Amino acid sequence: MELGPIWRAILRNKSSYALIALQIAVTMAIMVNAIAIIQERATQMARPSGTDEDNIITLTSVAFVPDADMRTMIDEDLALLRGMPGVRDAIATNSFPLRSGGWSMSLSTEPGPNSDGIGTAIYFSDEHAIETFGTNLVAGENFAADEITWNNREVSTWPATGILTRALAEELFPEETGSLVGKTVFINENDPVKIVGIVDRLQAPWNGWERVENSMLVPSRRDGEFQRYVIRTEPGMRDEMIPRIEAALAANKDRIIENVRSMTEVRERSYTGDSAMITMLTFIVSLLTVITGLGIVGLASFSVSRRTRQIGVRRALGATRPEIMRYFMIENFLISSVGIITGGILAVALNIYMVQEFALTPLAWYVVPIAMVILWLVGQAAVAGPARRASGISPSIATRSI
Amino acid sequence: MLQMNNVSKIYRTDTVETHALREFSLKVEEGEFVSVTGPSGSGKTTFLNIAGLLEDLSSGTYELDGRDISKLNDRERSKVRNEKIGFIFQSFNLIPELNIFDNVDVPLRYRGFKAPERRKRIEESLELVGLASRLEHMPAQLSGGQQQRVAIARALAGEPRFLLADEPTGNLDTNMADSVMDLLGEINSTGTTIIMVTHELTLATRANRNIFVRDGSVSDGPGDLQLAAVAG
Amino acid sequence: MFRYYLRLGILSIRANPALSALMVAAIGIGIGACMTIVTIQYIMSGNPIPEKSDQLFHVRVDSWDPAEPYDEPNEPPEQLTYLDATALHAAGRANRQVISFLSSRVVQPAGEDSKPFQTQSRATTADFFAMFNVPFAHGSGWDKSADDTQERVVVIGQALNEQLFGGENSVGELLTLSGEPYRIVGVLDEWSPVPLFYDLNNNEYNDPAALFLPFSVAVAGEHGSAGNTNCWKPIEDGGVEAFRNSECIWIQMWAELPGEAEKAAYLQFLDAYVEEQKLVGRFPRPLNNRLDNVEEWMDINEVVDEDVSVLLGLAILFLIVCLLNTVGLLLAKVMKRTKDISLRRALGASKATLFAQYIVEASMIGLAGGVLGIGLTWLGLRGIENLFSIFEFVQKLVVMDWVMVLAAVALAIVSALAAALYPTWRACSVTPAAQLRIQ
Ligand SMILES: Nc1ncnc2c1ncn2[C@@H]1O[C@H](COP(=O)(O)OP(=O)(O)OP(=O)(O)O)[C@@H](O)[C@H]1O
Ligand SMILES: [Mg+2]
Repeated sequence: MELGPIWRAILRNKSSYALIALQIAVTMAIMVNAIAIIQERATQMARPSGTDEDNIITLTSVAFVPDADMRTMIDEDLALLRGMPGVRDAIATNSFPLRSGGWSMSLSTEPGPNSDGIGTAIYFSDEHAIETFGTNLVAGENFAADEITWNNREVSTWPATGILTRALAEELFPEETGSLVGKTVFINENDPVKIVGIVDRLQAPWNGWERVENSMLVPSRRDGEFQRYVIRTEPGMRDEMIPRIEAALAANKDRIIENVRSMTEVRERSYTGDSAMITMLTFIVSLLTVITGLGIVGLASFSVSRRTRQIGVRRALGATRPEIMRYFMIENFLISSVGIITGGILAVALNIYMVQEFALTPLAWYVVPIAMVILWLVGQAAVAGPARRASGISPSIATRSI
Repeated sequence: MLQMNNVSKIYRTDTVETHALREFSLKVEEGEFVSVTGPSGSGKTTFLNIAGLLEDLSSGTYELDGRDISKLNDRERSKVRNEKIGFIFQSFNLIPELNIFDNVDVPLRYRGFKAPERRKRIEESLELVGLASRLEHMPAQLSGGQQQRVAIARALAGEPRFLLADEPTGNLDTNMADSVMDLLGEINSTGTTIIMVTHELTLATRANRNIFVRDGSVSDGPGDLQLAAVAG
Repeated sequence: MFRYYLRLGILSIRANPALSALMVAAIGIGIGACMTIVTIQYIMSGNPIPEKSDQLFHVRVDSWDPAEPYDEPNEPPEQLTYLDATALHAAGRANRQVISFLSSRVVQPAGEDSKPFQTQSRATTADFFAMFNVPFAHGSGWDKSADDTQERVVVIGQALNEQLFGGENSVGELLTLSGEPYRIVGVLDEWSPVPLFYDLNNNEYNDPAALFLPFSVAVAGEHGSAGNTNCWKPIEDGGVEAFRNSECIWIQMWAELPGEAEKAAYLQFLDAYVEEQKLVGRFPRPLNNRLDNVEEWMDINEVVDEDVSVLLGLAILFLIVCLLNTVGLLLAKVMKRTKDISLRRALGASKATLFAQYIVEASMIGLAGGVLGIGLTWLGLRGIENLFSIFEFVQKLVVMDWVMVLAAVALAIVSALAAALYPTWRACSVTPAAQLRIQ
């Protein structure tokens, strides 16, 4: 309707309108990039670990008696755990998904020192691993019980078989369309490992690792003094099993049991930084939106009271209440638009910088429009109050001159 | 055209009630040029506000063009103001952040005219007041008399049938006042009804009729006598 | 006169209580957000050993894979092989030198019913304590001879001494660690450098290990490293011995070199050592040895978490928004008062008095915002502490010292003045006549 005069009036008072537009622009830049980071972190946190997290308990067993017979201790512990009512299965392993510590090796499809390897996490365990983690074997078969060997830190002969995650197998054989079971890969440069099975998913222990979906189950257990037990309970029994398991394992005084945690807790610890980042950014963005909104309310109130007389004149000249209200809404829309468009450019520039500097995932296309709509709505909501007050100004103000 | 019967207007504040108009009755015919005089605080502006639909009345009836004003809602009143009534204020009341062109444009926008029509009317009415060359000026760049003439142009641009003026020459020197009065005379001669508040009797005499307001009512006291004296 | 301006300021603030509150809140919140992150960044990047950080050098030699650098573009590995660590340490060419790795032991307190528990231990050499200015409450570190003879001695931290011996002097007591008896030779005083500069490979905000014991003892007892072990070449068959002779890196080394000359000489020594090793077929990469002092080493390891840098950038932008907000509101206030101002000007107020009046008003708002900001910073730090509550180290990152309090106040006043500058200038440039022209 009256875009022209409103716009010209804005240009008459450039500086104060430019300030609010700039404020909206910077708000937009922050909002867009914060949303991009939140989105990235939320996506990462939403990735499943490939385990039955709701029913898994993990713990560390540290033997401290010199020359303890680790193999016997582990076998006894596992027999005890697997025999407990309420326990579905249990394993001893060097690590597990989300633990943030473990062992990685490089796998390649050709032997020799110069072939390009693909990093993978190694889980040393036995034929109970698939059942205990609760992952699904999608091809091939599980290890046989008599296949399982013992090793220690200085392992130099590798077991000849392995179960790989699908992501790892596909990365190793990108061209292959048929079954990958039966293929051979090489570890430690020259040691062949035959793929006997493929599981759909079992994350590596490091959630921030670019190859987090790559892991390999190895049919061999390590007999060091540090052991990590993973225990899967019957559905819903996890919490009641924790004290029972602690009590059962306490009988053996040659070692200590530490870090008894549910997988849910392990996940929380693993993603503390990310979830804190999400909380902080959400907080910052909400606060910022409120401040910008209140700033608009404040400026609009000033603007209305400064123009009281003019509004009266407009009313006297025939403006209806909705028309007065619309004037302020349109004015805000125009200023917001300037800010939002500048902000869009600013946001994209900032994002490009952050992508380079902090290896952030680039912005999804829809974030900018979403932020635009949010800020438009915030602006309109903020100006609605003062605009309503403006529309209530009596036309008789025009004759009651001060 | 305008008929007020026993109109009263009471302003209430926390402490006092002011009877700005009481039992105010008046009839103005189409095409008349009526001047309103009276002591300060007697209710002249209040009458004009009510006549121009800027304020509600407390009691009594007011018919404009045969329509009972009290039955109109805010929207309809705005429309009446916009289409039928032109205002000239004592203190000009130009919008400081709009240039002359946009100032005259304001009521035309609310009227919903198309752009060419608005441009034509703006130019014509500014021509009439002799300011056609100043379209791009801001109000602050004009003298008081020029500002008042812009205000008149703005009041006339919508071709109202009814022009209300509250001391239109109050801020102007005698020469300026004369030319504004000439302008009003011309406008009246084209059939526009004018009601003008003034406290300068010489100006009041240029109207067809004078009403004298005292204590919120029309009085046939000294006003007519003085007018007669001046005229005689 | 100043009191007159103060009164005018208070009047003006009181005339618009909601808007004044909004300005104070905006400055306060902006400062609070900014200072919360700045505080964390300040602690994270603080110099933990300012008195000699430029004399302590982290030692790196490039023993890595000929096919690719340890880290792009051409960084040598951050740790040493057992072969190199022990050889460089034995050469003793620096004023002091220390090799170490992080491990863990199970502490078995005396007494039947006391429960054994696991704790971190640092295997290191005799110079460690003097080199890093480690304060002792009782006793001292061990002699070089203890390193040579693999004597089972241990230095324990303050907290562990508190826990085991109620804070008494425990020097001379025996302590059983994973089944082996150690003699306590020293008890540390309170000591917790942030960041833990001498071991940035593991969590740099951890507390120092509770136990320090001789490197030679740990190696002989086969204490496994709790830190990273990286290998580029397969380990030959042959158990522990093979691992020690392998190209796996797992030991950290520091050298104390008081001046430029010593540093240059030590670098020469490292180069000569590598050249010598090349003769026996090791060190296949080009010569690439590094000495980095504490602050350089902290930079290389990016001790300030990337998330903190991102948050800091956003917090600064946030403060800018809050300031723009304040500028806008102050300006609106001025614009609303232009008539009043031009009247004052017409009545004889000079630009200087107007300037003083508006600056005093803005400073009051800034000061109030600063005080609010300090409070909000404290709250913000509590919030972050809460978010990371499962990690003990966060406690160290959320403390506000007086430097930060002063910084908050200064930032608030500078911000408020910066915000006031433009509106004040606008107020001062109102001409006495112009505004009176339009009624
Ligand atoms: N909004 C209001 N609230 C209270 N009293 C009012 C209000 N407006 C006008 N009055 C009172 O109503 C009375 C009539 O005022 P009005 O403005 O109509 O006088 P006037 O005849 O125009 O006087 P002048 O010639 O001085 O302009 C006065 O006593 C005035 O104080
Ligand atoms: Mg009057």
